[in-house]
Amino acid sequence: MDSPDRTHFLADLKPGGKYEKIVGIFRKNSSAVRIGVFDKEIIYSLAEVGVKWIAHCGAGYDKIDILACKEKDISVSNTPGAVDDATATTALYLMISSLRQFSKAERDVREGLWKSRLSSANAFDMTGRTLAILGLGGIGMRLAELAHVFPMRIVYHNRRKRDDVPDWCEYFPEDRLNEMLGITDVLSIHVPLRKETEGFVGDKMIRALKKGAIIVKTARGKVIDEDAMIEALEDGHLGSVGLDVHPNEPKLNPRILELPQVTLLPHVGTATFDSQKNMELRALNNLRDFLVKGRGIDVVPEML
Amino acid sequence: MPRVMICGDLVWAHKECEEMFKGVADIVVMDSSNRADFLTNLKSGGKYEGIVGLYRHNISADSIGVFDKEIINALVPSVKWIAHNGAGYDQIDVQACKENGIFVSNTPGAVDDATATTALYLMISALRQYSKAERDVRAGLWKSQLRSGNAHDATGRTLAILGLGGIGMRLAELAHAFPMRIVYHNRRKVEDAPAWCEYFPAERLDEMLSIADVLSVHVPLKKETEGLVGEKMIRTLKKGAIIVNTARGKVIDEGAMIRALEDGHLGAVGIDVYPNEPDVNPRLFEFPNATLLPHMGTETCDSQKKMEIRALTNLRDFLVKGKGSDIVPEMTPKSRM
Repeated sequence: MDSPDRTHFLADLKPGGKYEKIVGIFRKNSSAVRIGVFDKEIIYSLAEVGVKWIAHCGAGYDKIDILACKEKDISVSNTPGAVDDATATTALYLMISSLRQFSKAERDVREGLWKSRLSSANAFDMTGRTLAILGLGGIGMRLAELAHVFPMRIVYHNRRKRDDVPDWCEYFPEDRLNEMLGITDVLSIHVPLRKETEGFVGDKMIRALKKGAIIVKTARGKVIDEDAMIEALEDGHLGSVGLDVHPNEPKLNPRILELPQVTLLPHVGTATFDSQKNMELRALNNLRDFLVKGRGIDVVPEML
Repeated sequence: MPRVMICGDLVWAHKECEEMFKGVADIVVMDSSNRADFLTNLKSGGKYEGIVGLYRHNISADSIGVFDKEIINALVPSVKWIAHNGAGYDQIDVQACKENGIFVSNTPGAVDDATATTALYLMISALRQYSKAERDVRAGLWKSQLRSGNAHDATGRTLAILGLGGIGMRLAELAHAFPMRIVYHNRRKVEDAPAWCEYFPAERLDEMLSIADVLSVHVPLKKETEGLVGEKMIRTLKKGAIIVNTARGKVIDEGAMIRALEDGHLGAVGIDVYPNEPDVNPRLFEFPNATLLPHMGTETCDSQKKMEIRALTNLRDFLVKGKGSDIVPEMTPKSRM
């Protein structure tokens, strides 16, 4: 796909166009820069061409209108597993940076201030502290493994208890969620973005965390109510945050840039040569399996 | 009661200090703003007269300088114990202490977790190019200047540890969780290290360097280790390798490291310590693939408190039992490293 914009893309999907008769697609979020997200307009056009499979490259597929795909009998697969290691490592990095105030430390040393503006009073060891994982999927579980080695105490909330995880992952159901938040030193977010999870981590949840707690976000920006988070940072209820994803990427909220205690990354959770290649292979395998066997293995949960 | 000195103010363990030395010793706090005043007050009639031991923190060097021959000689003959707060004690002339019958203790163990965590952070940052990524996002560039080709996963890569002491071993534990392959060089094989720590003796050091994706430095600074990681060692590393330093700046030949960054032989560096702290060679700021911290290795309230208590315990044990448990290796008959 080399269309410079959506208009050209849609035109070339029509009979006689260069994309006519395609039955499957390998899709990366980077395509949205030119043709936009896979909304109803694109999905309906793909359906008319005869597309039956969209093999998405990535764990988060919020840029594809799944309902429209279901409606038009187009299957969608993503790439779970292939993203776990790199994303969990990013979360671990953000957690260490937030607890230790390393982002500010580096900015200060690069400005010739050495550590004159830093105090160990605001910096903490990981060992013995409590990490709460919101959404114990592949990425959440991988982070749990890496954090447990310090050891950190691992607690989690999930829609359902997982029976295939080690005993040291302590489950907190819905009715004990506030209890979990009240003992948490670091809350790491690992739920996918959907209508139900938009603003999921809002004022209520943030205020239920103990004072000085840290939030790490490698999932999707919109899962956190950004204004509530910023207020909690400004009044000191939150000790700091580590963010890889933001509600309106690539734009960042200017208020966040003013807070010295924050660590920021530009959505690089899976940005390694190794993981990118694994993800591409996984998506291509899903597409190939669809052609050869009739279906790929990583059909998204909504379509199972 | 004997007199002891706090040389470099306590931050966290005031209460513990009071409790530990109640009925054991009188405490005098060093408050001289320069060396001359300090030396004068150690003499007969001065406020530090007759102290038999002292707690020392590197911060005291800001006012009175390091514990060189001049200071050591002034401590003689009453001082018999220097309880240093910190793992690295290169600011104390240990040879001069030995010659004058003054024991020195440091605080091994108490520094391991926080320092190893710093090394882990620097390693991940260097592997993933996160320092540049954050600078770029703060400059409004998003990820336009980043290439995933320059960023790597830790899992499956090889971490070489130079000096498998307490800090090196703690880093090995944390990194082995990915897992990374752990190889190490030490003056002697560490017999109680797990089997997955692969030992490379001196005659196989080059072999180890050539298979290392990350080299993390964990040797103390001494005459023999100054510039240890120099041109030869750096060039033996494979192209694109990463160096992490949380030990002491002078252990690495900074010029050689900078040349290797300039010509791309080194893929990235993660540095917490520098040859002339708090000065940082401005050349380091030019490299997008450098992650830099201002000697943050043990800067947490948890570890700072542990270290203060450990040093105070060494001092107290000297007074009460005759000796503290953390005598530095140069003064003990047998040594781990």
